[in-house]
Amino acid sequence: MNQGVSRVRRLLPVVATVAALSALFLFGLLRGSPDRDIPSNFLGREVPNFDLPLYERYMSEFGPRLTLDEVRGRPMVINFWASWCGPCYEEAPHLQRAHERYGDEVLFIGIQTQDRDARAAGRAFIDQFGLSFPNVFDGDSRTSIAYGLFGVPETFFVHADGTLQHKYAGPVTETILSEQIGALRR
Amino acid sequence: MNVLRRTAWPYTLALLCLVCALALGSAAAQERELDPRVFEIGRELRCPTCVSESVGESNAAIAREMRVLIQEQLDQGANRAEVLAFFQERYGDWILQNPPMRGMNLLVWLLPIVAVLVAVVAIARLLRRWRTAAERPIDVVDPSDLDRVRAELRGGLGDGAGR
Repeated sequence: MNQGVSRVRRLLPVVATVAALSALFLFGLLRGSPDRDIPSNFLGREVPNFDLPLYERYMSEFGPRLTLDEVRGRPMVINFWASWCGPCYEEAPHLQRAHERYGDEVLFIGIQTQDRDARAAGRAFIDQFGLSFPNVFDGDSRTSIAYGLFGVPETFFVHADGTLQHKYAGPVTETILSEQIGALRR
Repeated sequence: MNVLRRTAWPYTLALLCLVCALALGSAAAQERELDPRVFEIGRELRCPTCVSESVGESNAAIAREMRVLIQEQLDQGANRAEVLAFFQERYGDWILQNPPMRGMNLLVWLLPIVAVLVAVVAIARLLRRWRTAAERPIDVVDPSDLDRVRAELRGGLGDGAGR
């Protein structure tokens, strides 16, 4: 009996170590894509300016190019997308509906990025979802680098004063959009 | 006509090879135009869209663009630290292959050292225990244990005799 107890006592540190390492391993496996949860380095700071060419359908309203500094002054939702990105097709209808819902109160901007030489595909994407908010083309991905983008889609929710409230990585849903835009309007 | 068709295909093949070689050559030449320092600095930066690859090694479009950006900054007179700071300001510490020793990052640096120290102490204690056990003479037996064994043996023999 005593021998059994002492053997258990001797094995206890080994069992505890193996259990702790297994728990760490499981945590690593189940925590999903941690890079997605990394907050933007612009949180609470002013988001960078950009000056990018617009797609033709928006030119009558904004001119040939869109400069962020010229349209600041109201809450903004800046969405980065690419024509090859599956989740971008999932979220596009939600963005369009949110744009229709909030009208001029919130400025929606789409930025096609990490999609070099794909203007035709970008045009088709915009037409497919009838995106009525301005969409620009970041051909050399410099704006994506300026914003510290990890991939597409990523959406930046920006206060009227130009500071970043939140960055969402992955396809946005109606719930996320209404939560974040609600916070921007408060 | 048939003769012409039969003799034309080696030329077509050779032409195709030439076009491929030129295309590959021009891609390589584009990379060669970059300063070797671009790749050195690039190796210190994580590629944002890749898994476990640096900007210096990755062939992803964003990594290629970042290399061009590094070249532009070097051309403008920026040094290594300034280029790294440029990317760190946009991506945070995440972008650096060697994160700075502060905050939670400190754990990344300290945990392996602590783990090695714990392992060394544990192995040293184990070795000492084994050595002590090996050095202890096996004929030294606790007298009380001897008495107990003798009594048990006597009892056992007594049971056998009575059977």
